[in-house]
Amino acid sequence: MNHTNNPQQPNDARHDDDAALTEFLSSLMDYTPTIPDELVEHYLAKSGFQCPDVRLVRLVAVATQKFVAEVASDALQQCRARQSTVVKDKREKQQKDKRPILTMEDLSKALRDYGVNVKHQEYFADSPSTGMDPASRDE
Amino acid sequence: MSHGGGESGRVHEKSQHAKRKTGASGDEFSQAIAKIAVAQICEGAGFQSFQQSALEILSDVTVQYISNLGKLSQSYANLAGRTDVNAFDIIQGLEEFGSLQGYGGASDIDHCIASSGTVRELVQYVTEAEHIPFAYSIPPFPVVRERRPCPSFVQIGEEPPGDHIPAWLPAFPDPQTYVKSSTENEGAADCNTRKIELAQVQTETDRSLLNLQNFICNGSGGPSSFAHGGGSEAKLAVEGNPFLAAPLQFGEKEVSHVVPPAKFSNEAAVKNPTNQNFPLDNHVSVLDTFAPAIEAMKSSLCDSEEGQKKVLLNPRPAVQFKIGAGKKTLGTALDFSSHNKGVEKISPWSGKYDEKDDKKKRAEKILKQSMQNPGELAQL
Repeated sequence: MNHTNNPQQPNDARHDDDAALTEFLSSLMDYTPTIPDELVEHYLAKSGFQCPDVRLVRLVAVATQKFVAEVASDALQQCRARQSTVVKDKREKQQKDKRPILTMEDLSKALRDYGVNVKHQEYFADSPSTGMDPASRDE
Repeated sequence: MSHGGGESGRVHEKSQHAKRKTGASGDEFSQAIAKIAVAQICEGAGFQSFQQSALEILSDVTVQYISNLGKLSQSYANLAGRTDVNAFDIIQGLEEFGSLQGYGGASDIDHCIASSGTVRELVQYVTEAEHIPFAYSIPPFPVVRERRPCPSFVQIGEEPPGDHIPAWLPAFPDPQTYVKSSTENEGAADCNTRKIELAQVQTETDRSLLNLQNFICNGSGGPSSFAHGGGSEAKLAVEGNPFLAAPLQFGEKEVSHVVPPAKFSNEAAVKNPTNQNFPLDNHVSVLDTFAPAIEAMKSSLCDSEEGQKKVLLNPRPAVQFKIGAGKKTLGTALDFSSHNKGVEKISPWSGKYDEKDDKKKRAEKILKQSMQNPGELAQL
């Protein structure tokens, strides 16, 4: 927007970019992101963002979704890497829970790359019944 | 909650329940939605289950991402002198976010925002990524209820009670909601003094009324003929006011003989000779009608002149001899005494109750003084 007089950029290329952006934004009208519009609108409104355009909300939603998906895929990579190292030792035991699990360990490693430092406590009780025996916990 | 990562759904529900129990920040609904959305994205990425804490952290980070992006875009819009955000502000915000990671064309300081690398990555992601719509349909939230103000004087078509109140102000509520009404709460301690004063005034008026009645009786020379209507109206009146009660025939009701104090009876005898022989003739007399009131007054006079102990202690049942017996039980005891005398027709409306209040106070004092030891014995 503030580069209209940029001599290095050819006119037609800029038009192409504008067209691509417009097309992308209009394609967002049909694309429903996994993160619902209502949630994004709610948090955007909380942060002072005011815009009635659904496309911009969807743009934010898509960007967030992309971010989360990237973090998740990184964590999955971490998980696979960790499992492949453990598998050498205990192949039989690992055979059972082969399915990937999103753990704090992998997530904190993945989030560190994105500038979010998550300290994973060695032990923490996130519910009052954590320390109890399973019989009394299941009531 | 196990952190080995079990069945995701069940753990999820449980955590919701726990959160609701502890009563978190009031943002549970949106946090729950964020969790579901994040869980769906993770599922799309290839995960099959998760630790509860990991999902919570990731959804928190997601929410923070959205709000930070909103703040950043808004600040870019404000920097450009606008209040509304447009696509370029968001893209600039995304570029700032992406500057940590790096994106295509970030090194080119003169690039057009429309051709930003972040946008290209986004377009690529949208075209490549699996399309997973949100699992539930959610209503728009937070719900903002329309407030319904009270109708003003103009709206309900009323005139304000005063000239100083403009008509556009909300109307007053119904008067019975704020006008203080007198309640029959004889046990209330705060209005006891007022009651006693009232009782004194009432006894005075009663006495004068009685004198007047005696005078009329003297004048007419015997039984008066008013108050013969023994219908339902009279019965209704009996409920409210004992003075309006239909007269009882002699012997219809068992009335214990009241011994008037010497002074009073002399006075009455001098004033009203028919008073002495009215039990003999079977006529309905005005004095008979007012017998309960007279009795009440006499008993009160008795009280004040003679020892109160005799009046108050005798009719009290043995059960009532308890330490810490409050006004209530005393009241019932006195009620019993009045019942025994056969003056139950006297309603609490009359001055007798107020006198009783007075009596009760005195009786309590005496009780506390005299009955301390026997009461303890009785309880033991």
